[in-house]
Amino acid sequence: MVNLVLVSHSEKLAAGLKELLAEMAPDTPVLVAAGLEDGSIGTDATRIEETLNTLDDDGVVLTDIGSATMNTELALELYSGERTVRFIDAPLVEGAFLAAVLSGQSKSVDEIEDGLKKEFSK
Amino acid sequence: MKLTTEQLRSALIKAAEQIEQHKDELTDLDREIGDGDHGINMSRGFQAVQKTLEEHGEYEDLGALSKEVGMTLIKTVGGASGPLYGTAFVKFAGAFKGKTEVEGAALADAFHEATEGIKSRGKSEFGQKTMVDIWTPFQEALSQEGDLKAAIDQALADTKARIATKGRASYFGEATEGVQDPGSLSSALLLGEIAEVLHG
Repeated sequence: MVNLVLVSHSEKLAAGLKELLAEMAPDTPVLVAAGLEDGSIGTDATRIEETLNTLDDDGVVLTDIGSATMNTELALELYSGERTVRFIDAPLVEGAFLAAVLSGQSKSVDEIEDGLKKEFSK
Repeated sequence: MKLTTEQLRSALIKAAEQIEQHKDELTDLDREIGDGDHGINMSRGFQAVQKTLEEHGEYEDLGALSKEVGMTLIKTVGGASGPLYGTAFVKFAGAFKGKTEVEGAALADAFHEATEGIKSRGKSEFGQKTMVDIWTPFQEALSQEGDLKAAIDQALADTKARIATKGRASYFGEATEGVQDPGSLSSALLLGEIAEVLHG
């Protein structure tokens, strides 16, 4: 099952979203790479990369604002694992809902990306 | 103009001191048109760079030095500046690989690659009131072997007058006109120290 990785500046925001997703798609693995090491607000490419190294299947990554995306793209460049991992440019909350549901339906990374693009490129 | 490994190391240590001295100013500017953490982030990152460079001593070449600086910045700066400055130095690492000194077109090309790296990472262009507004004129002056310090001063004045259209500052719209962009200022501090060693 495709893993969903939530990258946010705020650990609380990502944790809250993860809680929401568990109601919609309880089986979808959701990983959180949010905040800085000391719990403060921010995003960190090395922390994101460490999270990518714990994927148990392919993954899609969703981000909140600005530097979350930059750090994600950097983490994907640094990532040397075997999984197919893709950043999808979509609103974090709505995108995560759709991605979690699609993953729960055993869709692939490509299918999840297509689904989100269709929904959010309007 | 020629850049040696030891010159770059010493310029970066001086840049760290400059950033430390301007820490509050960078944070105050960022508080006005951003999220108020630029000085703190840059200070944390460049203090880490300074410590690493001082402890390591001489590097075998410019590539190894740039790579260590890039990875240190990525790990420690945070915010948007971490990946942006980190990417610039990772690009330097590629361009400087195995070289102990670089001059002329090769030097200008390395700065061109770093600038393109920043633009591509931030999906930004010249003229949006970001650090690109400093890196671009600096790199152009370098390719013409022009006056680098004059180019930086002019670029700082130009970007200050602009309205931000990229990054968090763009949410502040017209309120950004006449306020210095903190990323431009930190870039000017860094590139100013590099200009210093290049002009000799």
